[in-house]
Amino acid sequence: MLEILIDLLALAVGAGFIGAISGLGGGVFIVPALVIVAHMPMKVAVGASLISVVATSAGASVAFVRDGWTNLKVAMVLECATVTGAVVGAYLAGVVPTVVLELLFAAMMLQSAYFTVTKRGDDILTKGDPLAEHLELAGEVPDLGGNLVHYEVVKVPQGGALMVVAGLMSGLLGIGSGALKVMAMDYIMHLPLKVSSATSNFMIGVTAGAGALVFLARGDVATTIAAPVAIGVTAGALAGSRVLPHIKVESLRTVFVVILLLIAAEMGWRALSGI
Amino acid sequence: MPKQEEDRILRVWTPILLRSILIAAMVVLGAGLVMTYTFAPDYYVERYQAVQQGHLIGKEKFDLLFDRVRQGNPHAVLTIGLFVLTLVPLARVAFCFILFIRERDYTYVALTAYVLAGLIVGVLVGSVG
Repeated sequence: MLEILIDLLALAVGAGFIGAISGLGGGVFIVPALVIVAHMPMKVAVGASLISVVATSAGASVAFVRDGWTNLKVAMVLECATVTGAVVGAYLAGVVPTVVLELLFAAMMLQSAYFTVTKRGDDILTKGDPLAEHLELAGEVPDLGGNLVHYEVVKVPQGGALMVVAGLMSGLLGIGSGALKVMAMDYIMHLPLKVSSATSNFMIGVTAGAGALVFLARGDVATTIAAPVAIGVTAGALAGSRVLPHIKVESLRTVFVVILLLIAAEMGWRALSGI
Repeated sequence: MPKQEEDRILRVWTPILLRSILIAAMVVLGAGLVMTYTFAPDYYVERYQAVQQGHLIGKEKFDLLFDRVRQGNPHAVLTIGLFVLTLVPLARVAFCFILFIRERDYTYVALTAYVLAGLIVGVLVGSVG
């Protein structure tokens, strides 16, 4: 038993660590690790991943919320969209063929790779649209000099629409869909990138939690796998967040993209060879 | 209650809530793994191999689960640990819901009520699915 436990913990710690320093979250790496390395069925990997993503989101959110990076009201508005998508996605995960899940996973890896390559600077707006103003979504973020910069928010419905897709993918594939969430908030709603990342991370807890509750209630979570994976991914993510300020993430960007493309190729190949 | 006070309460108490439940879940899961290693290592290996073949235990009734925890069943302790972990988002949204009711901010009462309902629907969908 000890050997299996050490292998699972090592996989989970590694996935959590890479997920934290790449900013993509542990789920993106733990699902393929469990499927490809530990030879687990896709649905078992998705269930275990959803549970562990809840833990990593909670762990990382503590500092982001305390330090004011998370826009709590934006999170609460958009969670309505992600929770809807996540419940539908987790339900569909029980009936959708594995081949479809693997192909979707490959597609999401390609989207994450694209997002990693095309990350851009902030485009802060000084005037929000009426809906965002009614919902009081504007916020303040410290600049490099420590001065508070006011930002406004726009296009809430369009951002929400993409959040439904993010929730759907989360429930179906066991990932936090962080890359999709950050794209919605950064590109469409014009939140500063760091606020988008912190808010996405905060929302992932509810998105993955909704999916995890469906899986748990359906009896589709393998306790023997999910328990060590949750502990390992959380430990790896905490270690990654401690190391993050001391490493040059920019220089690792190519490595992350290569890993994502390899996972996309492997999952795509598994799907196509299974048809 | 002024908006700034509401924001301060959220920023102080949300991290405390998240951290407390996360630590509680990790303690239960860690204890469950130690109990499994001590009392049921063969059962663990058997379950691991069965899961690789796609054989899951399936739905477990809550009352039976607590009975098995009282009997010191390691698998039941691990399952409870996973349920505690899923309380993190539920508790956080419920906390915001109560705060917005106190503040009479009915737009956000409605939004957090929708998210809470979504999480509860998730349990129901899973139970019948």
